[in-house]
Amino acid sequence: MRESLVIFRRELKGYFYSPIAYVFGVLMTGVLLFLSVSTSLVQGAQASMQTFFGLLPIVCIVFLPGLTMRLWAEERKMGTLELLMTFPVRISHLVLGKFGASVAFLAFVLLMTLGLPLTLGVYGRIDWSPVLASYAASLMFAGSFVAVGMFWSSMTRDQIVAMLLSLVSLFLLYLLGYPIIIELLTGWMPAWMIDVLNGISPYKYFESIGRGVLDTRDFVYFACFCGFFLYANALVLQSRREKG
Amino acid sequence: MIEVEQLEKSYGFARALKGISFSVQKGEVIGFLGPNGAGKSTTMKILTGYLLPSGGKASVAGFDVVEQSLAVRARIGYLPESTPLYAEMRVDEYLMFCAEIRGVVGGKRKAAIQRAVELCGLQRVTGKNIVELSKGYKQRVGLAQAIVHEPPVLILDEPTSGLDPNQIVEVRKLIERLGSEHTVILSTHYLQEVEKSCSRIIIVNQGQIVADGTHDELVAKRPAGALRARVRGPEVQVIAQCGELLPGISVAVESRSADTVAYHIDVSSGSALIEETFARLVIKNGWDLLELQRERASLEDVFRELTLGSEKEAVHA
Repeated sequence: MRESLVIFRRELKGYFYSPIAYVFGVLMTGVLLFLSVSTSLVQGAQASMQTFFGLLPIVCIVFLPGLTMRLWAEERKMGTLELLMTFPVRISHLVLGKFGASVAFLAFVLLMTLGLPLTLGVYGRIDWSPVLASYAASLMFAGSFVAVGMFWSSMTRDQIVAMLLSLVSLFLLYLLGYPIIIELLTGWMPAWMIDVLNGISPYKYFESIGRGVLDTRDFVYFACFCGFFLYANALVLQSRREKG
Repeated sequence: MIEVEQLEKSYGFARALKGISFSVQKGEVIGFLGPNGAGKSTTMKILTGYLLPSGGKASVAGFDVVEQSLAVRARIGYLPESTPLYAEMRVDEYLMFCAEIRGVVGGKRKAAIQRAVELCGLQRVTGKNIVELSKGYKQRVGLAQAIVHEPPVLILDEPTSGLDPNQIVEVRKLIERLGSEHTVILSTHYLQEVEKSCSRIIIVNQGQIVADGTHDELVAKRPAGALRARVRGPEVQVIAQCGELLPGISVAVESRSADTVAYHIDVSSGSALIEETFARLVIKNGWDLLELQRERASLEDVFRELTLGSEKEAVHA
């Protein structure tokens, strides 16, 4: 675990060294705040955190692939992956350290959006406990998106390819739970299959997240989701060892 | 220190290593030579745990590279080809990161980094970002990274490629210094480098070891080279008499100056006693022998002979 921590620290520092992270952080918060404030205004001059948390998944799908694309692809292209893989560190620890740093950076970005509930709190009353629960949940699904993006980044040395693949796969995963899509599929697929696909999609969890109502199943779902993609990530790196 | 037994590695259908075996004793500095694609880097990547072998065995300091990979990796300092570095980090930060991840304990880290910095002559640049450094300095940072945890074994993949002659000399000196404390395997294309800094040379070609020995051993295996002589005497007669006396040789004039002529006498099928015979011939005729020298076979000749022939075969196949 000590090694994971060393990787974690280096990666997190790396985020703050690179301009990409700042541009990314500012853009993502900016877009998020602008969209949620403007839609709330259009919808009836009632700003609430619900709109914000409703938009967050979509914004994450669009932005996170840009953040995660470099995680392994860059290391491979620069050759530093060879260095990492010859340090006396288990692959799982490398993966966890990198993943942790990205989630920590996202936590930082989410913290920057706290301005919104704070402002709302000034002009009206805000119930903080569901808002904080929603933040925690947002971090969870943002983390699961990172796991997907990181997995794709380990598959290629081309960052753009990694970005496109994670964008598409995140979008598909999202769509799988979308009511209209489910309806469309109903005639084509056996019901159990639709249930499975629907179960995989993070879509249905967004709503409960938005309401700030969290249940253990949500946690288990996101933990499994992350676990699956992180494990696949480690397998990809391990297979590189064999193939060369 | 290092034992390699029938090591094999295939990339898809391409067989990069076709069963190579060698062993390295503690304190040796091994020069790994071979044309591009011979399998040098592949061997190093397997020893450092970056790649898994497709067959055979290898161990470092008694630990198997597959079964006990972590133990092996902890005992190796590795400089990969093309020296990958985290360009956005500062030199001291980078070395700190390497020391931490290699498990140098907290109290010793500063001293370990200090030692690496001094050995590699990095004192002036520790506060700089790696991206700003010249290629020579980057190379030294790569070396510092490899030695920061004082590993018993150093594996350096082309540590001097792409450097200018001055930098090459500096890095070579550094490697010589390191050789006194570490067991070193280095690969290179610069043959002089191996002559100067390596105690033993292994030449690989097409995934196989074609030579293994000290510089003198390798050179001695080659048949003697041609004879060069400078004689003051009638050119036509010298050549004619030479041909008569020593059958199966060819004499060519290399250069002429004032009243002397330099000859190049090829003895591919000649006897070993050609120096004596030639000297006697000159004296008997009353000419003056000004210079007589046997061309020494060089490592370059050995290298070309061992690696060029098979390349042709490969082209035909």
